[in-house]
Amino acid sequence: MNQPVPSRKLILDRIRAATSSAAQSASQLAEAYAALPRAYIRHGSLSAQACIELMIQRLREYDAEVVECAPEELADTLAAQLAASGRHRFVAPSGAPPEWLVTSAHPIKGLEWTIDRGLAIDEIEKAEGIVTAATCGIADSGTIVLHHSSREGRRVLTLLPDYYLCILRASQIVETLPEYFSRCQQPPALATYISGPSATADIEMTRIKGVHGPRILVVILVRDDANK
Amino acid sequence: MRTSLFITCYNDTLFPETGRAVVRLLERLGVTLDFHPRQTCCGQMHANTGFRGEAFSQAKRFVRLYQDAETVVIPSSSCVAMIRDQYPGLFEELGNESLRKDFAALVPRVYELSEFLIDKLGIEDVGATFTHRVVYHASCHGVRALQLGERPYKLMARVRGLDLATLPNVDRCCGFGGTFSVKNAEVSSAMMTAKLQDVLATKAEYCTALDNSCLMHLGGAMHREYAGMKTIHLAQILASTEADSEDNRMEAAL
Amino acid sequence: MTHANSERVCLDPRFAPPFPQVAEQMLRNPQLRKNVGHAIDVIQTKRGKLVVEKTDWQELRSAASAIRAHALDNLGVYLEEFEARCTAAGGHVHWAADAADARQIILGLLREENATEVIKIKTMTSAEIQLNPFLQAAGVNVYETDLAEIILQLGEGEPSHIVVPALHINRSQVREIFARTMGLNNLSDDPKELTNAARTYLRQKFLTVPTAISGANFLVAETGTVAIVESEGNGRMCLTLPRAMISLVGIEKVLPRFQDLEVMLQLLARSATGERMNPYTSLWSGVTPGDGPQRFHVVLLDNGRSSILAKNKERQTLKCIRCAACMNTCPVYRQTGGHAYGSVYPGPIGAILTPQLMQMKHAQSLPYASSLCGACYEVCPVKINIPEVLLELRSQVVNQERKQAGRFFDLMYLGLRIANLIFATAWGFHAAQRMGRIGLRFFTRKDGWIHSLPSLGAKWTQTRDLRGLPKQTFHQWWAERAKEGK
Repeated sequence: MNQPVPSRKLILDRIRAATSSAAQSASQLAEAYAALPRAYIRHGSLSAQACIELMIQRLREYDAEVVECAPEELADTLAAQLAASGRHRFVAPSGAPPEWLVTSAHPIKGLEWTIDRGLAIDEIEKAEGIVTAATCGIADSGTIVLHHSSREGRRVLTLLPDYYLCILRASQIVETLPEYFSRCQQPPALATYISGPSATADIEMTRIKGVHGPRILVVILVRDDANK
Repeated sequence: MRTSLFITCYNDTLFPETGRAVVRLLERLGVTLDFHPRQTCCGQMHANTGFRGEAFSQAKRFVRLYQDAETVVIPSSSCVAMIRDQYPGLFEELGNESLRKDFAALVPRVYELSEFLIDKLGIEDVGATFTHRVVYHASCHGVRALQLGERPYKLMARVRGLDLATLPNVDRCCGFGGTFSVKNAEVSSAMMTAKLQDVLATKAEYCTALDNSCLMHLGGAMHREYAGMKTIHLAQILASTEADSEDNRMEAAL
Repeated sequence: MTHANSERVCLDPRFAPPFPQVAEQMLRNPQLRKNVGHAIDVIQTKRGKLVVEKTDWQELRSAASAIRAHALDNLGVYLEEFEARCTAAGGHVHWAADAADARQIILGLLREENATEVIKIKTMTSAEIQLNPFLQAAGVNVYETDLAEIILQLGEGEPSHIVVPALHINRSQVREIFARTMGLNNLSDDPKELTNAARTYLRQKFLTVPTAISGANFLVAETGTVAIVESEGNGRMCLTLPRAMISLVGIEKVLPRFQDLEVMLQLLARSATGERMNPYTSLWSGVTPGDGPQRFHVVLLDNGRSSILAKNKERQTLKCIRCAACMNTCPVYRQTGGHAYGSVYPGPIGAILTPQLMQMKHAQSLPYASSLCGACYEVCPVKINIPEVLLELRSQVVNQERKQAGRFFDLMYLGLRIANLIFATAWGFHAAQRMGRIGLRFFTRKDGWIHSLPSLGAKWTQTRDLRGLPKQTFHQWWAERAKEGK
């Protein structure tokens, strides 16, 4: 009895037959790829300061709260924000620096920090807020890029709690999306690009924010750039 | 300056007054007109409905008729689009080298009317008078395929007495679409109604365009509904002068 | 009044009635036309502003078109590269030749997981292979998690748009569905309240169902990455919380390199929802220990795509990134909505994709569901020349008809064949003009206009008058003038 041709072989044979006129060696393929037109804007034209201002503007358009601070003010600013949030149970990623967890400048009654060293989902679900660092900020679209390093945390951490505070450094901000890609020395195994709180427009195109994922986004912009 | 007028099958049969207006207009501008008596159709209807072999035979005939013309002027942007956009594919698929060569030599000499006036004659003021409020419908082929851009507006801006209305959603299709108007008559009518809402709201007296196909569709509904607006090809507006008698101007409109 | 979502809508191209027939029904539904018109006006306005703002928009389109065409030209190589990278990163890649194959593979994977429930991220590809009813029949409960998909699932409706599938449904219709199926009698029709109801309804599912199914917006060959572009966060829930994940992806969705996302992402959000960037984009490669599903499968779907790949003019259909800009700008779609197209892929892209996926055996009315205005081509971020493909498919439909005996009863077919003979010679053309004028005299009223015609002509005169044929054609006038010596 004839064995049916495995689907993989069937599909690849069909594809090869369909694209036979374009059959190329590896070097021809690379050449063809390199020759593709890329006349779009690669690098932004804004000054670093203008770029930062644009990032802040875009974040605020998404109703994110943005607070600037000098590098040495980070711990205090963070403590103040957490105190103002009205929340008590916070999660921090496994690589969170100890200074984040110190809130003596703004004591929060009943404050509980849990460090994620493999928390179960229902434990994360109990948390009210999450604090992470970021990899990059893209000013053009107000996008926060997470590569989920130990300071950014597992993906579930920035998904379940309702309050998300992101610590973004000015030196991490670029103007355009291509600039972010050119900064990626190696493509990340995991990435999440966040451009505002979740939203749906599925009902009559009325934009409703905060369907799933944090409904509150606060960004502390640490001015670690040269002009402060 | 000589030019050969390709009147188009539907203008010849249904809108001869547009042809007469083109003749009046161009002769007034000092152009000598030829008219090839054996012309029929460019093949668009067949090509657009999927009858490529038939479209090819008409396309080939067009090239053979006009291959020696100095220039060809056509008062229909959809027919010019057919010639520029679809003839190459038809000749590639079904023609031979000699036909392709002759077509390549001919096609730069084929002009839609507003292109002929602006690009070839270099004229914006054609000496026209048309003292009416007019709304201009930008046919899809003119806007997208031919990229006519500002040409019709430049011409209308120099027509004395013409009050040009602003038309919202000016780039949106009127719904004619050739055989679409029959094969999908209901959708075509819905699109027509939507377009008419915008057109009639301008309170213009005339609706004009560079294609009688769109005008026949919109004008047919205007007539049915006693809408109080008439359609008129832009050639007829441009041909109209102060010296025209009332009779002539009445004849010019649908 | 019939609710838009309770009409018996068929989106199986093998059985759906022809476009003109369903379109007419849809045109008679004022609620539908209002809902659709409103939705696309909102997206179009937002998109328009952002396109003007993006000064390199045309350059992005050119790059995207070239990248997608290059990927398709070398599809086999890039798919194999994706497979190798995804596998090296701990994922499993499966190949499905057709819809039945894909369904079986997915069911098999679910059985391996002992899954009796799955949570799903919206994917039109799963609707294309009719996955949900198949899984339900096999005893697996499927829970859609995208708000629009929940509305449709609970309301037993069908999608009418590939990005905003419930755009034909308004808030009071949603309220009615949720109140009935979620038992929420005091629910108002405020979209915020409705959305909250969905959020609460889904939370438990996200936290407890261990298996998820998704599609993908892009695959990246260089890195074995899968990309999901979304707004609501249900995608992130499904691709982060479960233990096992299955992504069903059309073979055409692969991009060569990670960097190519810098082009595609700039175009997609602006085209699809009129935003500079959508709220959440998730990228992952294979399996990452400790983060997300530890078992990950990609099911690559052919289902007719390789045969489209083989055709010169039609291959560009596969460049599509499913942004829906074409249907948002289409003046036909604006009037009829998506259900008229009888396919999960409606609008201009659906008009060319659906018949081709059916090997041109079904959905033959779809290539004619267009006035060829070209607006879709103008907005397509990857420059698919949809009118060109529509024309090519029309000629294939006609060529099929040429071989059928029934063509002698098709008035349109006969009319066009006769017209061709008429246009072949001047004397034939002129004779036909004379005959036409004589024949139409019967229908021409005193005011010189025709108000009613029989047969095919009735399609014109049902809504428009036609001016009677003038006594003298242009060429007769010219000949007369020439005789008179100008």
